Amino acid sequence: MALSVGGWISLLGSVAVLWGTATWALYRSLRDEDRKLELLEKQGEIDTYSPQALAELREWIRANPDDPLAEETRRRHNECVEILKRIDEPFYGWERRDVEALEKVEEA
Amino acid sequence: MSEPDARTVREQWGSRFGFLMAMLGAMVGAGNIWRLPYITGENGGGAFLLAYIILLFLIAVPGLMAETVFGRYTGRGVIGSFRSAFGRGRAEGLGLVVVLVNVALMSYYAPVIGWTLYYAVHSLLFTFSGAGFAPQAFWEAFSGSTTLTVGTHTLAVALIAGVLVFGVRDGIERVVKWMVPLLVLALVAVAAAGLTLDGAMAGLAFAFTPDWTYLTRGQTWITALGQALFSTGLGWGIALTFGSYLSKHDDVPLGGGVFTAVGNTSVGLLAIFAVFPLVFAFGLEPTEGSQLTFVTLPNVFPQMPAGPLWAIAFFVGFFFATVSSGLAITEVAVTTVEEETRLGRTGAVLAVSGIIWSLGVPSAYSSSFLGTMDFMFGSFGLPLATMLIVLTVGWKIGAERIRVVALNQNADIHVGSWWDPVIAYAIPAIMAFIVLYYVATNVGSSFAETAGGVALMAGLVVAAVAAMGAIRGRGESTDAVGGGD
Repeated sequence: MALSVGGWISLLGSVAVLWGTATWALYRSLRDEDRKLELLEKQGEIDTYSPQALAELREWIRANPDDPLAEETRRRHNECVEILKRIDEPFYGWERRDVEALEKVEEA
Repeated sequence: MSEPDARTVREQWGSRFGFLMAMLGAMVGAGNIWRLPYITGENGGGAFLLAYIILLFLIAVPGLMAETVFGRYTGRGVIGSFRSAFGRGRAEGLGLVVVLVNVALMSYYAPVIGWTLYYAVHSLLFTFSGAGFAPQAFWEAFSGSTTLTVGTHTLAVALIAGVLVFGVRDGIERVVKWMVPLLVLALVAVAAAGLTLDGAMAGLAFAFTPDWTYLTRGQTWITALGQALFSTGLGWGIALTFGSYLSKHDDVPLGGGVFTAVGNTSVGLLAIFAVFPLVFAFGLEPTEGSQLTFVTLPNVFPQMPAGPLWAIAFFVGFFFATVSSGLAITEVAVTTVEEETRLGRTGAVLAVSGIIWSLGVPSAYSSSFLGTMDFMFGSFGLPLATMLIVLTVGWKIGAERIRVVALNQNADIHVGSWWDPVIAYAIPAIMAFIVLYYVATNVGSSFAETAGGVALMAGLVVAAVAAMGAIRGRGESTDAVGGGD
């Protein structure tokens, strides 16, 4: 019994989506770990949020100033800002001018 | 959130590869190898795979991210994580429920590991290619012998305890770093051998030819949902526990979510390639489940060129799949006992293993008892554990809050706001639907077991909550993350 065209599409599609994604995720994960270790050895610290993630964090802090986690969240935000201003080579795709424009979030 | 009250510096994974293999090995189990192939063939082939893959990405990937980040965020085991979310007191009992479900699950999974150990050893002894080998009689002689079933159950528990006593890094990680890649290689080898057989393509046609009418049937989607949720190990406490051993610079969404869920299904797809060509090349019945693995396949391998080698690859690989899951399931309880009692690592491993062994003897002795345990804890206990974990992340901690604060911290991929309603609404609603569906479809045919399963879970929650309340002796404290969204 031969495999139909639909069967081939289904087989190859499953292989591409599952094995392709798993292989990509494994490669990307290991590569990023190597990069983080390299930067940690070189600089002693690395940025902890991407530009998009840090912007979301800042927005969330401003929208939830009385949240029980507000203080801890501010600390995480400000720690990332401080690190970004200290290091030369960020892990995430930060532009120098964006880092210079970053400000810490103060308690409301 | 308060600082962890661990007595010593908490262990961490030694490498990213070790964490990824531990997660993958935990989630890849017997269900991937004997269940995914035949439910794919039975439910519309490629159409089922499409439904399953959609649900995998929509539900399982975000769910695993939530569970892993819960553990990474709190840096504690299951009860400690619930304490971080709710504070000291009765609500810690919800974490105790998750631990107890894992212990119960492991009590009947350990005998299954024992079966795979027995078959792996006999594949190495070339028993299946011996003259006059009769697979049905071999299986009946094994399953009918209390000495063998309880003996292999004992060996399985002892083996797992022997690994866990060395800890997460020197025990689990050291073992799974070679065990999981070898499992994948073993399945690749069996698939490669099977695909060269006459009639192999019929197996692939059965598994992959899409019958799109199945996508209009509710049963197809319910089966796909069940497989996406249960085979990925979502909500068992494993991802939470393993996540708690991540370092502060580790990513969660890509490794704990995408790789774990999709990698697990990728091994299931590999099992389709390994099992179905054999099944069809030898004219076997593809829906036999465990019977296929332990009775039919031992008869098939000797008929293949270099058959004993493929038997070794399959059964040793199958043993690796079950033992890596057993390590993870047991570790959930070991981590918690180590954190919550005065016992050290060795004491915690011995205590948990002793309880699992004792509770598992009836399942090792009687396959019908094992089936009842599986029905009650697999059908109702695991969804209960998943609901408790996901509802805690989605509503008590708050999906948006944990995503913005912790999930996207040090992440290799950015997770957007689409994730919040999936965690807060979609997964709990789907889990509730699946449980109600199981009750509705089983209450008529097996009323006592279904009612017993529901009553047992309700009793478990009440007893665990009351027990933690009594142990703590006082009301709630403020040692918690705080209100949810």
